[in-house]
Amino acid sequence: MDPVLETIDLQMIYRVGKVDVPALRGTTLKVEPGEYVAIMGPSGCGKSTFLHIVGGMLKPTSGKVMIEGEDLTAMTDGERTDLRRRKIGFVFQRFNLFPTLTAEGNLKLAERIYAGKNNRDAAGRREVLRVLGLEDKMHHKPLELSGGEQQRVAIARAVINRPAIILADEPTGNLDTENSEIVLKMMRRLNKEFGQTIIMITHNAEAAARADRVIEMRDGHVIRTGLPAEVVRGRS
Amino acid sequence: MDSLIAANISQRPLRTAISIIGVALGVILVTLFVGLARGMLRDVAQRQANVDAEIRFWPGGNISLAGNPLMLPARYADAILHGVQPTTEDPDLEPKPPISGIAATSAVGEYVQGSVAGIGFELVDGIDYPAFIRTTHLTIVQGRGLADGRTPDTEYEAIVDRYYADSGKDIDGKHVSVGSRITVLGHTFTVVGIYEPSVLARVKIPLHTLQQLLGGVENCTFVMVKCERPELANQVLEDLRRYYPGNRVILTNEIPALYAQGLVPVEIFLNVVIGLGLVISVLVILLAMYTTIIERTREIGILKSLGASKRFIVMTIEKEAALISAMGVLLGFVVAVIGKFAIEANTRLLIDLQPRWLFIAAVIGILGGLIGAIYPAARAANLDPVEAISYD
Repeated sequence: MDPVLETIDLQMIYRVGKVDVPALRGTTLKVEPGEYVAIMGPSGCGKSTFLHIVGGMLKPTSGKVMIEGEDLTAMTDGERTDLRRRKIGFVFQRFNLFPTLTAEGNLKLAERIYAGKNNRDAAGRREVLRVLGLEDKMHHKPLELSGGEQQRVAIARAVINRPAIILADEPTGNLDTENSEIVLKMMRRLNKEFGQTIIMITHNAEAAARADRVIEMRDGHVIRTGLPAEVVRGRS
Repeated sequence: MDSLIAANISQRPLRTAISIIGVALGVILVTLFVGLARGMLRDVAQRQANVDAEIRFWPGGNISLAGNPLMLPARYADAILHGVQPTTEDPDLEPKPPISGIAATSAVGEYVQGSVAGIGFELVDGIDYPAFIRTTHLTIVQGRGLADGRTPDTEYEAIVDRYYADSGKDIDGKHVSVGSRITVLGHTFTVVGIYEPSVLARVKIPLHTLQQLLGGVENCTFVMVKCERPELANQVLEDLRRYYPGNRVILTNEIPALYAQGLVPVEIFLNVVIGLGLVISVLVILLAMYTTIIERTREIGILKSLGASKRFIVMTIEKEAALISAMGVLLGFVVAVIGKFAIEANTRLLIDLQPRWLFIAAVIGILGGLIGAIYPAARAANLDPVEAISYD
């Protein structure tokens, strides 16, 4: 089976004033369909840059990103946006829901961006809401929800259009232990029940332990990849 | 709330209200000013149309709506009708025959005074009443006609048209009727009659009184010439031009065109008002939407992370601007209609709110809003998604 994501010698150099700051120094990796991958590493190791490039929000300095066989790096800005719309779902640490919209409004907005005014999959939406335990929260605005509930809505929004990959950037970073646990369980459930590919950045070893595979990054390189137990033990 | 646009608009009610009022101001400006100009023009044209006399005889030189009003000797009215012969006082006077085909002439003095209501201006006619009714179809419907104004008890008498009587107030603040006292040229006049239909100025006083108030010279502004039959008008016109060279002789039905020429500056002014309305709408929406974009930078980043195209973002902002503009247009229409009735009730100004101009005002309001939103929308669409989503 072809990988859902493949990066080849990915390099990213930021220009800060007159100084070049390398963020990625040749990152090569593959993610298979249905895989749940955690990326760990210290701050500034290039995790977020990697996520933004894979999500089509940044263009790398060099290298290649293939998503389901489509070369992201050869695309224009508009084409990358289109690919992001079709194949990527983002989940952020700060939830990033629209505060003026209800939970349902946030989901419908994502659907509208994905499919326009027509062709919405109401049954699919209900199924996602059921899995995430959000059926009775649809008419609440984000500020009327707990952090865990907000993050579940954000996950529902990311998954509602059935993207090829969910890119989660510290999804439990703003949550307490209890809510973190709920969110991680939900993500695992999505991965299992829908075969959803998930790439999650985390500092949290316990969160990383829920993944199928953990990739450790340092100074813009992938330095280790393996089962969670191996990588997390290796770090400590 | 499920609609992003509606949610955005309701999120900042004060700013939305200010934006709506801003657009409404532009719409009110256009509708009321254009309505006022059109209303007054239509009113003047209508009042000109009620003149029976086919020919208007003016002194030479430029015709001005606001120049010295009494420049033509009033005796021209007699001279045209009866001819001129040298007299012992003026033996050198060039003899002129009566112009054939003329049924009646009437000398009219016309003066522009500031409106008593304080807004705009109004015309006052000085007329020789018996001659005047022979050149128009003016009819007294209440009271009586004017005397010659040469005796103290008839000097400060006036007649007014039905509209003036219905809409005006006398100096005691009451509706105008026969016996009311009104202010004309700074003097108190007694209304002795109400006439129909409206012909020329709404207020008429004796020509002699007008002459006395404006300097005592026995002059008028123009002479109206009524032909025996309408088809004689061109022949009479030619004779008048031949025997009285140096004066302006015009067919009455050409006067609206003459007014139109004189109204070129008004048209320019209206275009400036329309431009101003557009600029107000553009600036109000530009500022409102620009502030919105800055405030919602992070939300735009979220839209981009969801895969929203530049077109989607531009359309979202433009739709929001269009909705605010549409509400501004509606508010503008409501205020303009209320303003029309308020102005017409308290002044003698007429405001003509034609559908065509309401449509133009609506287009200006909404177009202004859409244009004003272009820059903020383009700026939002071109935000860097990573920077936008990290914005605090």
